[in-house]
Amino acid sequence: MGNFGQLMDGFAVALTLHHVMIMVIGVLLGLIVGVLPGLGAPNGVSLLLPLTFTMDPISAIILLTSMYWGALFGGSTTSILFNIPGEPSSVATTFDGHPMAKQGEAVRALTLAFGSAGFGAMVGVIVITLLSSWVANFALRFGSPEYFAVYFMAFASFIGMAGGSPFKTLVCIMLGLAVGTVGMDTISGEGRLTFGITQLTNGISFLIVVIGLFGIGELLLTIDEGYKFDGVKAKLSLPVILRTLAELPRYWVTLLRSALVGCWMGITPGGPTAASFMSYALGRRFSKRGKYFGKGEPEGIVAPETADHSAGSCALLPMLALGVPGSATAAVMMGGLMIWGLSPGPMLFTSRPDFVWGLIASMYMGNVIAVVLVLATVPIFAWILRAPFTVVGPLIAIVCLIGAYTVSNHMFDVWVALAFGVAGYVFKKLDYPLAPFVLAVVLGDKAEDAFRQSMLSSGGSLAVFFENPLVASMMGIGILLLSLPLLSALFNGLFRRGAGAGQTSSS
Amino acid sequence: MEISRKTMEAATAVVTGGVGALICYGSTENGIGWGAGGPEPGYFPFGIGCLILLGSLATLVQTFWKYAGARHPGPGAVAEEPFIDGTRLRLLVAFALPIMAMTAISVWLGLYIGMGLYIFYTMRVSAGFRTLSSLATALLVIAINFVVFEKLFMVPLLKGPILEYFGIY
Repeated sequence: MGNFGQLMDGFAVALTLHHVMIMVIGVLLGLIVGVLPGLGAPNGVSLLLPLTFTMDPISAIILLTSMYWGALFGGSTTSILFNIPGEPSSVATTFDGHPMAKQGEAVRALTLAFGSAGFGAMVGVIVITLLSSWVANFALRFGSPEYFAVYFMAFASFIGMAGGSPFKTLVCIMLGLAVGTVGMDTISGEGRLTFGITQLTNGISFLIVVIGLFGIGELLLTIDEGYKFDGVKAKLSLPVILRTLAELPRYWVTLLRSALVGCWMGITPGGPTAASFMSYALGRRFSKRGKYFGKGEPEGIVAPETADHSAGSCALLPMLALGVPGSATAAVMMGGLMIWGLSPGPMLFTSRPDFVWGLIASMYMGNVIAVVLVLATVPIFAWILRAPFTVVGPLIAIVCLIGAYTVSNHMFDVWVALAFGVAGYVFKKLDYPLAPFVLAVVLGDKAEDAFRQSMLSSGGSLAVFFENPLVASMMGIGILLLSLPLLSALFNGLFRRGAGAGQTSSS
Repeated sequence: MEISRKTMEAATAVVTGGVGALICYGSTENGIGWGAGGPEPGYFPFGIGCLILLGSLATLVQTFWKYAGARHPGPGAVAEEPFIDGTRLRLLVAFALPIMAMTAISVWLGLYIGMGLYIFYTMRVSAGFRTLSSLATALLVIAINFVVFEKLFMVPLLKGPILEYFGIY
């Protein structure tokens, strides 16, 4: 168990007073971001990222991941108390969380949610601890064709498993890749897709894209949906919290099943939102009390929360070990790593073990801190949320615009962010998926480089992607995933003629 | 004024298709063929542009296909649904326009003055506070941002000519 020793070294890095303070600050910022609608985890991390450029990378990543945990937890508070999900991934928590809170058991609902979320996150972190260096070692053998195959698989899985229209997913991925190619070409040094606009020569930062799509877009959506808080009052009492925590082990089947679903969806780029919905659906299907789901059933809270958080943490595993992020927030963090001069992927484990294991150790700590802080701050946030949105909205708008400016100190970026904001609003309302868009912006350059390097080494023959069993099977899985919508359409056409026309999306 | 979802779906698909075409056109300036050392710089973007065009066209076809049934009611038909109604649209525009105005003012007079005017406007007009408390909120927001960005994180924001005239850089 070489990992164990390294993890202990990691704890030595993470457990300094300085880093624990950073975790507390990060979790608190994350809670604010998670609680406020219009500010989500990807957007919050993007806004904070430019401020970390001067910090050392370990402190910076601990700050950002702590914020991520805080945001994941904070989203559930509003779901339960106000029936308004603070994060897309906590939508499923509203189904049973809010009814339970309305029945006067708000504290029990909150404790169930945070307790199971903490459990899910812990499972996720343990999976990362056990698997990451193994995956990284495996990936050390990868050449550029293998890397291209991994990226191909990631994008294909979005198209194949998204649930919505595969064409819309395709358009989103390709638009993201296109945004990634704007600016100087890394291989030839030519400016691409700049159309003579000098400000575009340096490219469009993924941070601008995220602030626009997720920040401003979400804000417009909130206005559109007619935002009104009609909340349940929660008075914290320690006995209720303790009693509920003691009740939690009774749902061990649901906990384990949901954690598994979450880990799987997090490692494959399904993301926390899909994981929580899937886990909720599985819970309703397999639980003995499934027919009571939706009326304030404890397992209806435990299932989505556990999956949400285990997926959220597992999404960091492929980012660290392969350089392929499993969620939009992980994509932003990966962009951050590259800005700090670290290249995510297998080499990171050998070149900066202190960074990797410090980060992993901080995940254990950060989640414990998050569970405690989120419970302690429930009354404060419930109070903040009573402020009218006509006051909160403009403040969020300012934060987004300043965030866009601080990326590279150009007002041009602010206009670009506003444009992406409008696009994000329209896309979200029309069920275009936004996570693949961000992933594509971050991965675009790397995917293209991998493709072109493979082409250079093979002399332009596509056969390089099928020359050894490893890369061939990855490409095969990718192609299979791509054809999944087609296959299911054929299947439906053959066996269920006429029924079920028109698809709906779940995110 | 109400905009139907069908109109919006179609318009969005046309716009994304247009972007795809634009990308195809832009990439031709870098060469889209295969050079001596593998693909030329425009090869990848050209393919991306084509795929966006393809996806947009398919979405467009899907939209008309889906809503074609609306006029002939039957099993599986989808009724016309609104994308946004008049009231909501007015709310949205009333929220978005001041943000645009703030950005335009900030380009000219700097971010601090831009955000101050914006907060004052929203507090006074949208939230309906009194003039004095709106002014106080605006100044408070400027002060907090100034301390956070200039002092704590040392990230200077755009000052503009007025602040520079008073010697604040």
